[in-house]
Amino acid sequence: MLDDAKPPQTRPLVAVDNLKMHFPIYGGLLRRRTGEVKAVDGISFDIFEGETLGLVGESGCGKSTVGRALLRLYELTDGTVKIDDYDIAHASPEALRKMRPTMQMIFQDPQASLNPRMTVADIIGEPLREHDAGSKLEREDRVLELMDQVGLNRDFANRYPHEFSGGQRQRIGIARALALNPKFIVCDEPIAALDVSIQAQVVNLLEELQDSLGLTYLFISHDLSMVRHIADRVAVMYLGRIVELAPREDIYAEPLHPYTIALLSAVPEPDPSIDAKVERVILTGDVPSPSNPPEGCNFCTRCPSVMDVCRRVEPTFQELRPGRYVACHLFEDTANNTSESAANGAG
Amino acid sequence: MKLRTALMGAAAIMAAAPAFADGHEGERGRDGQLNIIYWQAPSTLNPYLSGGTKEVESASLVLESLGRFDNNGELVPWLAADIPTVENGGVAEDLTSITWTLKEGVMWSDGTPLTAADAVFTWQYCTDPAGGCAQASYFDGVEQVEAVDDRTIKITFNAPKPFPYTALVGAESPIIQAAQFADCLGANAPTCTDANFGPIGTGPFVVTEFKANDVIQFAANENFREAGKPAFSTVLFKGGGDAAAAARSVLETGEFDYAWNLQIDPTVLSDMASKGKGTVVTAFGTSVERLHINQSNPDPALGDARATIEEPHPFLTDTRIGQAMSMAIDRALLVEVGYGAGGQVTCNVLPAPAVYASTANDGCKTQDIAGANALLDEAGIVDSNGDGIREKDGIPLKVLYQTSTNAVRQDTQALVKQWWSEIGIEAELRNIDASVFFGGDPASPDTFQKFFADVEMYTNNFAGVDPEAYMANWRCSEIPSPATQWQGANMQRFCDPAYDALVDKLAQTAGIDARAAIVKEMNDMLMASYSIIPLIHRGGVSAHANSLGGIQISDWDSELWNIKDWYRAGE
Amino acid sequence: MFTFTLRRLILTIPTLLFISFVIFMIVKLSPSDPTGNLPLTIPPEVREQIREALGANDTLLVQYGRWLEQFFWIEPRVYLERSFGWDLGTEGEIRLLSYQTRSPVMDLIMQRMPQTLWVVGVAYLVGIAIALPIGVISAYRQYSVFDQVGTFVSMVGFSVPPFFSGVVVIVIFSVLISTDSMFWLPSVYDTTHQVTDWESFKYQFRQMIMPVMVLALQITAQISRFTRASMLDNLNQDYVRTARAKGVRERTVVLLHVLRNSMIPVVTVIALGIPSIFGGAIITEQVFKVNGLGQLLIIAIQGGDVPTVQTLTFIFAILIVLFNLIADVLYGILDPRIRYD
Repeated sequence: MLDDAKPPQTRPLVAVDNLKMHFPIYGGLLRRRTGEVKAVDGISFDIFEGETLGLVGESGCGKSTVGRALLRLYELTDGTVKIDDYDIAHASPEALRKMRPTMQMIFQDPQASLNPRMTVADIIGEPLREHDAGSKLEREDRVLELMDQVGLNRDFANRYPHEFSGGQRQRIGIARALALNPKFIVCDEPIAALDVSIQAQVVNLLEELQDSLGLTYLFISHDLSMVRHIADRVAVMYLGRIVELAPREDIYAEPLHPYTIALLSAVPEPDPSIDAKVERVILTGDVPSPSNPPEGCNFCTRCPSVMDVCRRVEPTFQELRPGRYVACHLFEDTANNTSESAANGAG
Repeated sequence: MKLRTALMGAAAIMAAAPAFADGHEGERGRDGQLNIIYWQAPSTLNPYLSGGTKEVESASLVLESLGRFDNNGELVPWLAADIPTVENGGVAEDLTSITWTLKEGVMWSDGTPLTAADAVFTWQYCTDPAGGCAQASYFDGVEQVEAVDDRTIKITFNAPKPFPYTALVGAESPIIQAAQFADCLGANAPTCTDANFGPIGTGPFVVTEFKANDVIQFAANENFREAGKPAFSTVLFKGGGDAAAAARSVLETGEFDYAWNLQIDPTVLSDMASKGKGTVVTAFGTSVERLHINQSNPDPALGDARATIEEPHPFLTDTRIGQAMSMAIDRALLVEVGYGAGGQVTCNVLPAPAVYASTANDGCKTQDIAGANALLDEAGIVDSNGDGIREKDGIPLKVLYQTSTNAVRQDTQALVKQWWSEIGIEAELRNIDASVFFGGDPASPDTFQKFFADVEMYTNNFAGVDPEAYMANWRCSEIPSPATQWQGANMQRFCDPAYDALVDKLAQTAGIDARAAIVKEMNDMLMASYSIIPLIHRGGVSAHANSLGGIQISDWDSELWNIKDWYRAGE
Repeated sequence: MFTFTLRRLILTIPTLLFISFVIFMIVKLSPSDPTGNLPLTIPPEVREQIREALGANDTLLVQYGRWLEQFFWIEPRVYLERSFGWDLGTEGEIRLLSYQTRSPVMDLIMQRMPQTLWVVGVAYLVGIAIALPIGVISAYRQYSVFDQVGTFVSMVGFSVPPFFSGVVVIVIFSVLISTDSMFWLPSVYDTTHQVTDWESFKYQFRQMIMPVMVLALQITAQISRFTRASMLDNLNQDYVRTARAKGVRERTVVLLHVLRNSMIPVVTVIALGIPSIFGGAIITEQVFKVNGLGQLLIIAIQGGDVPTVQTLTFIFAILIVLFNLIADVLYGILDPRIRYD
């Protein structure tokens, strides 16, 4: 049940350019800054209005950091993030606060993301209050309306989050995110903490809301089948960088980057006859530490098709053909010979 | 060492302040408030319910007795018109009764007259068996106290009493008001909290507020018999903290005028005194820090016979060993390290009053390790197996040396241990919490009476000026044993029939010179037995502000015995 | 919640009885003697008489039974009589008497209470008032200079005992500073001082400064570290991120979302610390001669005053049990996730 409608290729709602997010490491006697974790190390992409961009990768690759950095829940190390043509990376705190209603987030752990000492009505209503949306009565109406919208019983408005099931809590989180009529929502593994039976309900709810409200999603997940289901385009991350970005059909049909190939080969295929034919690519070794990434290509330590150049030169993230981006030396000689020869000349 | 020059006999006073009233006269209460700090706070103002020094001394501002001992240990008439003696007919020829006459016109602070009936009541109060009177020993041997008339008190003894000045004399047995304590006899004593906390007295001050173990406020007694006294209108008597803090509050911060019992490191105290705000004063009484050398065998293998006189000590009964142990000790250094102005070298268990002090043993004042070694060598007590410890009859001279937990005592122990090791005697040190050591609990193995050790050290003294009862401590019958539930004062288990005979003789001898001769003989006998080794004659150390005058610190009575004469010297 | 509280209250009765028995046995079986502190000049027969008069020679069970009767039956009636003027027939009954002072223990405790509550209580409040902002800011600006300094001060507060810090401040403010200076502070707390006007209030304030500050340093150290840790736990929670994502003001995020959740464990720790106020601060009270409950206890222990030690420790036990219950109930009130039914 894949979406037929191609995303309307309109203007980019979110434009990310060379985003870097490095976290300091403190150590030593005086807790001085001794190093940094390069959680996100220079990535660029756009998200178009009304589309769903899936962001996939292993745990710890930095995908959640991207989601949070996009909403500037972190202070960015470098780069720009434009949402609706407004550079939120450099906005003042007050200007940023005014921007908040357009962009919202749904968190992975619905339990932890809801303040345990506030009732559902307070949680959903707080953004309305903070942004002075209407009178008290209007706000109450809006809260109940939102609860209807996400399929929560209105009678539960005065209950506390711990009294709900996981799926219901995620609905509360969604209702809260919708309260201010956002345009863009970062869904940070919104279903990872839920039972499989509930996952589908929540994903369907997200899709329905997208249709009815015209939302734009960044859907962060490690679940490739779920991303295939919901996303229009898919970005694959490895160790703080995007290695491949392509429309969904293309990437699942013909993955280019060796990491993407390995990742997709691990997805179970519902049809056993096909499943048997798929050749599994098993990656050996561990993901290198993001505080001390390898020289050259980040993936060089585990890549099955590693070449000499990979260990020296960082591949560039380039558009191989319209809509298909990849960062790999395997494709680089056709696109850009000069950089390699330059590197060779130097070496 | 320098202090040697200050030795002026047992009752030496080291007061830099003018010791005698220098024309400070005026109306009562002219000098405002007097601040006194006793770092151990009084828990009651009834000295009969608590025998502690702090209670006795604080109560002495209010309650008075027939006679008090001055700073020279001499008895002066207080509530009595004069001191009864055999010569003036106040004491019966056969020494079995004494008749006191009260001063005329003495009033209680509530305005009622003091009568002989109050004295009789006081005797009844303290001798009621259910009352648990802490000063009952002052009435020992008293058969009857009667009021001959309003001002005449006759005390009859059940046997001749050569020294009859115990009952109703001194700070420990003052006269309390019959009217106030009438309902407080015997078992009812503790129910009279108001009376115990605020006794009505004849003294220079009256209690205005009493907080147990904390603070007392006094005001001048408007009915006090002497005009123009006391000079202070109020007294704040604060308790709590520790000795060092009390010393600091007088000598450094000047918040208090008088601080009591400052047993702290002598160098710290002299540093504080050098600030120029106050003066340290010492009063020497009869306290002697001494070693008891166990004459019985404390070996646990003896079971019930352990530390009893039936089992003599394997080597400490040899006086040559005791003598060597005594010779090895540098008493002057002990004074310098631990006591400063508060101690003097002594070679007698009875160093004061001066008339009783023997000079026969003064040889111990100088340390003589070589002499001690020679003495032991001569006695054939030598180190035969080369381990540095001498043996007597094959038994190594190893002693267990115990005392109460106290920094000065532990310093002393360490020094003595070192000196003894130089003469081939090994000491194992042990210290026991004071409340256990002195607690007298028959169930505890660690009391000073049980003396389950070879050597023990502590201070003892006697109150008042007459040593009769004190010297009787070393009778054979005073030896603690299981038969007496380990009660008794003869800790070192010294037993000599000749000594017991002297005790009996003293009890029948009147006249100070004759008595003194006997007492000196007894003292010398004890010294020669080397069952007791005196170390330091200890004094009470106090400090007062330089602006305070009239202080005559005494260890024979309450330190505050003459507080009625204190005054504020002009700046 | 009500049934829970009631059930817990009923359960405390056997607990407390057991505690009282254990305390009694510990106090009684430890080697101490009410006459142990008396001068050696008092002969053993007199000591025996004193012990007899105190009732210290009865069998342990008789003594324990008498204590129970006095503490639970006579004393409450005496206090009821005093406060309401009723006559419950306590005339002639022997109240719970202290060995040392021969006066009712409860009266002593009531007399000491004000000093202790004033000094230790105020120190507790001051300590909390300083600790909370320090803890919050330290956590919010983790590893900043403020946090480092706060950590250092807390470590100092933890590790420097009051018998040292107390004497240091006395030497500075009472000895080195001249008595005439306005910065001079009294080193001896005057428990008889009464506040009647502005001048006497100023004196009371001055004499409280040193003991309160010495105590507050320790309290601040503890609670600020606890607040910091609790704040850090909560600052990294998703709901804080949610609140920021909502566009909630930073102040609101910290004060409303983080602080309120962080306070749950802190409040209970504060509640659990309250019995220690009543316990007084034994050392600090000694150093400044405040002579509150702590000093009463230590003097009673030294003097072998069994009834006072027993009563004081038992009252502390009651308070500890009670404030544990209060802390549990507070937890239930503050944290909607916890319900006792």
